[in-house]
Parts: sequence; structure tokens; C-alpha cells
Amino acid sequence: MTIQYWRQRDRYYRLVGSACSECGAEFFPPVYRCKKCGSEKITDKEMPQTGKVLTYTRLHEPLPGFEAQAPFYLAVITLDNGTRVLSQIVDSPDESVKTGARVRAIVRRARVDGESGQIVYGYKFCTV
Amino acid sequence: MASSKAYIASVGFTPIGDHWEKSLTDLAVEAARGALAPLGKKAPDQIIVGNMFSSMGAGQEHLGSLVASALGLSGTTAYKVEAACASGGSAFNVAYNLVKSGAIDSALVVGVEKMRDLEPEEVSQALAMAESAEYTQFVGATFAALNGLLARYYMEQHGVSRDELSSIPVLDHSNAVTAGHAQFRKAITPEVVSRSSMIADPLRLFDCAPVGDGAAATLIVNDGANVASKHRVEILGGKIATNEFSIYEREDMLDFKATKEAFKAAMGQAGLAPGKLSLVEVHDAFSVVGALSLEAMGFSKKGMGSKDAKAGRYSPGGELPINTFGGLKARGHPVGATGMYQIAEAYLQLTGQAGKNQVPGAKYAATQNIGGVDSTSAVHVFGGAA
Repeated sequence: MTIQYWRQRDRYYRLVGSACSECGAEFFPPVYRCKKCGSEKITDKEMPQTGKVLTYTRLHEPLPGFEAQAPFYLAVITLDNGTRVLSQIVDSPDESVKTGARVRAIVRRARVDGESGQIVYGYKFCTV
Repeated sequence: MASSKAYIASVGFTPIGDHWEKSLTDLAVEAARGALAPLGKKAPDQIIVGNMFSSMGAGQEHLGSLVASALGLSGTTAYKVEAACASGGSAFNVAYNLVKSGAIDSALVVGVEKMRDLEPEEVSQALAMAESAEYTQFVGATFAALNGLLARYYMEQHGVSRDELSSIPVLDHSNAVTAGHAQFRKAITPEVVSRSSMIADPLRLFDCAPVGDGAAATLIVNDGANVASKHRVEILGGKIATNEFSIYEREDMLDFKATKEAFKAAMGQAGLAPGKLSLVEVHDAFSVVGALSLEAMGFSKKGMGSKDAKAGRYSPGGELPINTFGGLKARGHPVGATGMYQIAEAYLQLTGQAGKNQVPGAKYAATQNIGGVDSTSAVHVFGGAA
């Protein structure tokens, strides 16, 4: 899995998604073909770093490798360009995590330890 | 290779639960033997196995040849079809289309899953493979977490209460009391759901289908197969459809487009109006998924799936009975086998063999089997029992 993280580093560190060169639609996660107009002229584009919570949950039993972080908040966030991202919400008071809350992207350790001993980083969000 | 009618000639299945003493192969063979009975010593033209994660659950892949050989039917064309939790329904759909087209005359479909040999966190990891490794698993989200996100959104958008959301699990458990193969044959109250442990807020343990082992099989034939069968049911239509892969990629997370499209297409092939259905087996892996499925198929208006269940519309004797043997919550959800259990149950209903769970006069039935959170949906319609 370590190579996957390396390959995706731009996605994970800077929220790089896609923009359609023909109709301008933007996507995160990135796409191979525009889901609005069908064009294959797709370029990388950094997504806005801010948005708001569409829905959230507090996960008590996470995937293996994330136990040390549990329980933690997960949210579907609508970024300011209308794209959506699934992310953890961290470094935020419990009462601030709610539907409609404004959030911004931060870089944090994604896993305490990668499978091969590497530490993996990626986007998380916090309330503002 | 003329197109003809396709029928389920027979079914076989194991009880669902903790089969500590049986392997993946043991379970598959047990279910398959029941379904193969009308063939005698003849082999089916193909054996198609529906399974999601035998690689993790049993350290085993290559299930087609494995099962064929175990049945003493090596030489037969055999392979596995995988579409996460929709693996069973998808394997059935492949077989149905092959038999109906006349490309082959008979097919054995076996759905099988071995889950209980795994530790709980390994089950979480296995189920998470239905979702994106790069964007869902990467943030530590389990499959239950995605459904928790969906449940909160659903409840907030439509003003659905905790007790209303509990209505489908309560209905499932009530129906399973008299179902011999069900994993949990015990009635529950809404309080049991709302007091069970929190999994992914607002979803609690009793919102979620359990973990169990099981296998279910059918023999599909056309008129060219020359198979004598005491009871047969015609497959009137079937379709696999897909949605945008993950909920966060969808414009409207509450719109189960795959189910909507698969149901519409299957009913269109059957030439049947939804009002004609006597029962529907709904894929309620989580309470909220059952509600959204009922809405996608048009039985409930948006936001009304759980509320309608609470009002008794989907109960035995109600307008449209669902999950007549307990659904995913109480009959159980051995993922790759679930779609095949639904189909076997529809067969029992339409041939009048459902015992205490019989829907009186059942004439037409539909089954809806989802992979992921409606990332895939396989819907089939049955009728014309003889």
C-alpha cells in the first residue's frame, strides 16, 4: 500500500482533483472523463481548502491501522467549488462538529504507521 | 441459440450463522447439492459462483474450478463473479442471461461467503474493499461509517426519528422468528435498537446486518435442458446497474440510482406494474439502506421508507410484504451469498413452500441485491410458478 500513498501524494497533500478543459466542471476525487460533459480533456486542479460539513459521523471502530485515533469524526464536506471530499475532522471541539460547520483542510499523519514502517500523511479537516 | 424462457428449477441453502465446523467449500457443496437434485448425475452447462472476499475469508480464490471439482463435476465451465455484496445477485444475472439467450441450457449458481473465521477488524477491512481504497479506506472509514454518514443526512433531510429508522430492523427480526435458516430468530423492539452499542453515529449495532457464514444455490434451466422439476419459477426479468462509485461522488446521496435503474429495467422486461408484486426482498444491510431502497424502487415517497415500514405497509399482511424471512438484518448477510438467499426465498414464496412465512397467494416477487452503498444493484423479478 505504501506505493499507493506515494503515487497519490499530490491528491493527499494538496487536494489535487480534476478540472474539465471543455466545460469547466471540477471533481474530487479526480476523474478520467468529465462526468458532466463526457470530455476526456481533463487537467489536474487543486481544490479549495475550505468548505462545510454536509454530514458527519463519529466512528468508534475504524479500519485496522487507525485504532489509535478512534473514536474520530468523519464527514462528507462540500468544498467551496461544490466538489465533495470524505475526510476525518480533527483538532476541533466536539460541539463545533455539526452539519453546516465551516471547515478547512490541514495536513496530518493519516496513519500512525504505514505497513512498511513509513509514516503516511494526508488531508484532514478542522472546524474554523 | 434461440431466446427462450428461463426458470429456477430448484434451490438449496445452508442455515446462516457460525459454521465453525464447516469450510467455504463444505458450505458451497451443501447448498449446491440441494439445487442440483433435479439433474441427477448430469452436470449443468456452467457453474457460476458468487462470492466477495474468499481471498480474505478463507485464503482461497479460483472458486469456479474449486467448487466444480468438489461437486465431482470437473470439466464443467466454472468461474466466480464478484460485485461486493451484490456478488450473488450478479452471478445469478450472468447465469440468467446465458440460459435465457440459449447460449447454454442450464447453470448452477452458488453464492457463498465465509466470514466468521475472521477477527472483527479483519471483517471490517474485507467489507471496506467494496469501497475506494484510495479515498475511503485512506481516511480510515469503514463500510459502516459511510452508512452512518448517509443515515445522519437522511434523518436530517427528512425529519426521520430514531424509532422510525428502527422500524425495518424490527420488522426483519419479527419475520425471522419462524424462518428456519435465519441467523437471529428473535423479535426485538425499537428500544433494543436505540439502546444497542454505537457503531457509526447515528447507526447502532442493530441498524447493521450481522456477520455470518452461509451459502445458497439455484439451478437455472430453459426448456432445452429437459429437466424434470416438481416446482419451477420463471425468471421474468433481471438487471445489474451501477451508480457513481462512492456516496460522496453523487449529486444526491439519497438517490439510489443503481437500484432505481435496475428495478425499472427488470420490471420492464417482466412487463409488470410494481403494484402486481406480492413481495420484495430488499437489501437492508443497514436500516437506512433498506429505507432508501424502498424509495428508489418507488414503493415509498422520498423520506418515507422507514416511516411507511413503521406504519405497517411492509409487514406481513400489509400492502407489500418485504424481507419475508428476516432480510439482511435477521436472516443474515453472508455478503456474497445474500443475493442468492433472497432469490431462494422468492422461489419458496412463489412455489408455496414458505411455511409459516408464506405470503398467501404470492404470485410475483422481486429481489434487490446491492453492492457497496448502491454502487451496484442487481434486481430480479419472478413469477409464473408451476
